[in-house]
Amino acid sequence: MSALAAVTTMAERELLNIVRSRSQLYSSVLTPLMFLVFLGNGVSSGLQPANLAAGNFTAYLVAGTVVMTSVFSSTFSSASYFRDRDNGVLRLLLSTPHHPRVILLGKSLASLVIGVVQALVVLVAAAPFVEFEWQYGVVPGFVIAVSAVVLLNLMLTGLAQAFASRIQSMQGFHLLMNLALFPLLFFSGAFFPIDGLPVWLRVMAFANPLTYAVDAMQLAAYAAGGEGFIGLPIDFAVLGTVAVLVYALGLSRIPRLTHSGQ
Amino acid sequence: MEQSGAAIWARNIVRDYGERRALDGFSLEVPRGGIFGILGPNGSGKSTFIAMLAAMERPGAGELRVLGEAPSRALRARVGTVFQENSADPLMRTAEYLRFAGRLFGIHGGALKARIPALLERFGLAQRAGDPVSTLSGGMRRRLEVARALLHEPEILLLDEPTTGVDPEERQILWDTLGEARGATTVLLATNDLAEADAACDRVAFVQGGRVVASGTPAELKQGLRRDAVRITWPGASAEELAVVAGWAGTGEILRIGDIVHVTADDASALVPRLFELAGRGIRGVSIESSSLEDAYFRYIQRRVGDSK
Repeated sequence: MSALAAVTTMAERELLNIVRSRSQLYSSVLTPLMFLVFLGNGVSSGLQPANLAAGNFTAYLVAGTVVMTSVFSSTFSSASYFRDRDNGVLRLLLSTPHHPRVILLGKSLASLVIGVVQALVVLVAAAPFVEFEWQYGVVPGFVIAVSAVVLLNLMLTGLAQAFASRIQSMQGFHLLMNLALFPLLFFSGAFFPIDGLPVWLRVMAFANPLTYAVDAMQLAAYAAGGEGFIGLPIDFAVLGTVAVLVYALGLSRIPRLTHSGQ
Repeated sequence: MEQSGAAIWARNIVRDYGERRALDGFSLEVPRGGIFGILGPNGSGKSTFIAMLAAMERPGAGELRVLGEAPSRALRARVGTVFQENSADPLMRTAEYLRFAGRLFGIHGGALKARIPALLERFGLAQRAGDPVSTLSGGMRRRLEVARALLHEPEILLLDEPTTGVDPEERQILWDTLGEARGATTVLLATNDLAEADAACDRVAFVQGGRVVASGTPAELKQGLRRDAVRITWPGASAEELAVVAGWAGTGEILRIGDIVHVTADDASALVPRLFELAGRGIRGVSIESSSLEDAYFRYIQRRVGDSK
């Protein structure tokens, strides 16, 4: 009995369910896009930020919005764990001849795919309307951005799975994800550059893995040069290491049924 | 106890959940083929035992063999399990859910394509193949669960209270369909529905406090019971009055559950007039039936009046 077949079966089912949850699917993309349009244009026109190239906050905000989309997507996708537990599907999944990690792998792969696709939809939808520099060229720049998005979603999926496997309620899960991820989002350079921040905030930013995803995407699309940015080698070294470790942690947390012997 | 040839063989199984002991020396032998019922009150250990057979729980002590092997993930491919709770994904369509479950149990291609319509037809769900599971009635969902559990043609089918919340007509459909599987598959049914077990099971075991207290065919377990079972709605029955009834010739078991007093007797037509003489208007209703598995169950399981008689 092939574990690969079980993984693809699980992933296929998860993707099907996500695609069928239209409101979740659309809101995960439309919310960041609205954020980009309204906040980006509002700040660019109203505040005219002098520290940004041509004062264009909308172009700056794209990388952060892509990261935010990934955060939303991984949270929503991993919430399927609670739905499966509450409607009994998890019991069926854990009664199959496969190791629970095979089941988790299938679920998380679907979460990864949907997170990457949604994030790239935001990037592709925004790109024609903002002034990107594409300093490495459009195609190489896009490949860099996609790589960063994949690693970012790998990390977020693993983190969401690690939380979901140990938290009793979906409400608690959302609360914890928001509590953990929103500060990370704020201190990642997603909404404002980190190089002008006070030292203690910069320390927090450099300890934050999301910073390296934002930095890689800024370098790929927005930035005209490397000044003021961390640099791609460090970005991918940190992001890749953290992503693999956190994803492995997520896969190691075997879901439990609350069987009490009744 | 011999384990050779048995579909399920358990000896002195113990399982604790914290301070609570769910199974306490549980021993059972289920022969291959036929329908075997495990009957017991809620919390008696039935679901724990089923979970062990499905390799979802491990015994703390004792020996357990399923088809001659210790329960394992690999063995699940030879066992089908219907859990007490529904496990069908409400977002999926009926046939789609079977395809999903079938693939997880290692069935692919032509075999899966052939079995799904056959099972949907057999369980009366063919017309609902394309409908979301969420739109099926409770009875249809239970039938879908049984169809799912049979999809990989298991040698043992474990049913944990499969008809909970299902109306009588749906129950009949389910049992008629399961009856067709009798012989080819060993069915282990955990239930507290005694009438259902009496009608469906070839053999039964009564479980209480995490151990088997009696086992045999329904006829064997009913042996020794008085001919008639009298159920009396008698809210104010006192211990003294019940002791008087217990002393009458031809009276068998007596037990009280809430306002209902169960009495087995050789001749109900002689017993009932004496009851009215004794209690008069205190008796609100009386029904008389032939002794059933329920009476045998009460004899072994429930509290008896004064722990005797």
